[in-house]
Amino acid sequence: MNLITEALERGENTLSEHASKQLLAAYGIPVSREVEVRRPEDLAGAFDEVGFPLVLKACGARFTHKTERGLVRVDLRTREEALRAFEEIWPEAEQAAGSVLVQEMVGGRRELVAGLTRDPQFGPCVMFGLGGIFTEILRDVVFRVAPVRERDALDMLSEIKGRRILEAVRGMPPADRDQLVRILIALGRIGLEHPHVKEIDVNPLILDAERPVAVDALVVLEG
Amino acid sequence: MSATSPTYDLDPLFRPRTVAVIGASDNPGKLGYHVMKSLIQGGFGGEILPVNARAERVMGLAAYPSVEACPSRIDLGIVVVPAAAVPAVLEQCIRKKAGGLVLISAGFKEIDDPAGARQQEALQAMAVVNGIPVIGPNTFGMINLHHRLNASFTPEFSLAGKGGIALVSQSGGMSHLLAFLAMNAGIGFSKIIGLGNRLNLDFAEILPYLAGDPDTRVIALYIEGLDEPRPLLEAAESVRGKKPVLVYKTGAASTGDQASMSHTGSLAGRHEIYSGAFHQAGMLTVDGSEAMLDLAKALNVCSLPGGNRIAILTGQAGPGMAAADACEALGLEIARFGSATQSEVDRLLPPLAMRTNPVDMGPAWYDSGAIQGIMRAVLEDEGVDGIILLMMYASANREVVPVLSGLLKEWRQRKPLVSCLVSPAGIWDEAVRELEEGRALANYPTPERAAEAMAGLCRYACLSNTEWRAL
Repeated sequence: MNLITEALERGENTLSEHASKQLLAAYGIPVSREVEVRRPEDLAGAFDEVGFPLVLKACGARFTHKTERGLVRVDLRTREEALRAFEEIWPEAEQAAGSVLVQEMVGGRRELVAGLTRDPQFGPCVMFGLGGIFTEILRDVVFRVAPVRERDALDMLSEIKGRRILEAVRGMPPADRDQLVRILIALGRIGLEHPHVKEIDVNPLILDAERPVAVDALVVLEG
Repeated sequence: MSATSPTYDLDPLFRPRTVAVIGASDNPGKLGYHVMKSLIQGGFGGEILPVNARAERVMGLAAYPSVEACPSRIDLGIVVVPAAAVPAVLEQCIRKKAGGLVLISAGFKEIDDPAGARQQEALQAMAVVNGIPVIGPNTFGMINLHHRLNASFTPEFSLAGKGGIALVSQSGGMSHLLAFLAMNAGIGFSKIIGLGNRLNLDFAEILPYLAGDPDTRVIALYIEGLDEPRPLLEAAESVRGKKPVLVYKTGAASTGDQASMSHTGSLAGRHEIYSGAFHQAGMLTVDGSEAMLDLAKALNVCSLPGGNRIAILTGQAGPGMAAADACEALGLEIARFGSATQSEVDRLLPPLAMRTNPVDMGPAWYDSGAIQGIMRAVLEDEGVDGIILLMMYASANREVVPVLSGLLKEWRQRKPLVSCLVSPAGIWDEAVRELEEGRALANYPTPERAAEAMAGLCRYACLSNTEWRAL
């Protein structure tokens, strides 16, 4: 995959959020709709394309832990609000030779996490669990060794303690398990097919009604 | 060992007719004395050949100065000589075409001095090239209770009951602990195997043998770490659905890579990845010594549930409530009785106590017909996948267990039934043991542990299903 070799040639050890999602999308993982803006003059077109409400994020290999650094602005409802947010984020993005992502605001309050890690004994391993801030607080995650079969992926969904989050709760529909299964299988395939991919975080993987969508993603590389 | 390692014929090792003890001794200060004692006191029925360069007799048996001087073929050699003498002994055993070895001697890979690891590698090469299976080095040995073979340095292992559980352990200390716990709880073993430093017999090599062993119904593994996990996972996958494989893995304390840039990397501890991989291969993980024995016992005795709807029948309300709470916390469902069952229960029990599930059979203590009727109705209810039966002894209900045993024996686990029948020592023990031996029930000392055992049966029923369908 060119994305990976190019990033490695630039001496980067991560893919930007946008490039990470391109890799995921190439494996059929649903990602949030977004437009990458490299010049302020492209912003207006991006607003029109994505529509309101929307999200702005600084994007680049150096921008990990964006939320903590104030580089993510969510639920921007008007052009004015969005322009103001852009002006705050842009200087840092520009300085780092990065970009700004104009992203659809994905609705849904259920946040999951999926990922990939490379274990010295087992090789690529796929993770699934509760996402967002609960990932670190509850550590409710399970692993499987790649290749992940359909059965393994379904077991992962029912093995987390918070498994009920995937059921119909508080007026929200049950999660699309087939799609979740395809995502976990795809992550395992990426691990097996791309030895330079060291780790992947898809966090949060938000349930937009029943449909899981990768709203943020990070691919860590190893030369 | 890698997946390409040869498959060994382990029958001579586990079911020998002749056993040589290389390093046999009359001196209680030597392990060779304790090994001889284990063999003799354990009632081994075959020929015992003590090998000792300086003695003519050991424990009253004719001794031989060397392996080669032994008059008959050696099926199993137990080696208890100092590490430095082991290579020569291995060579002699190979020349003698011994069927297999239990290498008790220590001082190899486990010691700080790198010379130990080098010496082990040399032994390993010799054993692999010559195709001789070796348990150890650095092990207490191995016991095959159905063959009255105690090839260990602990004679008391022979006191363990004969049963269907094979225990395979990486740790000698944990093997002793689990065996002694099991003895106290009346749980029996088919084999107890200490793998030690795993020269050429590792979990992956032992598992297929135990899968085909008619004496073994449940395989319990105690694991600390694996050099190569994949062969074990493959071996376990091939056993899936045939026999349950339980794993108790310690060494979980190490957490993920804290320096990792991703959440996934920092959450990926050894424990999490190991347990994911074990589940993936169809193995059941447990998180303690007691839990391992409890579940092994249930799997040895009970049939498998078709679902997770549990009926709780109790002689007193409290223990039934405790069991119900534990079931719910473990993800089991408290079954809703069918109307025929419920009206039968209502007919047999006065409206003094809980008559829906859990059923408090207290008011029927004196009415054995009523208790039997309730039991029968619930056992036959199609909406019930498993039963937990609880009864605390009281002077007035002394006869309940003997009265129920006929019905329980007749049912013999047509649906899984675990129990918590508790009395002061000497009252129900004998009846309960007899019921367990007849595979009528698996009994536990607390309602919570009975519920855990039932939950474990449900987990295994799910894992073992090779024709698995999506939930």
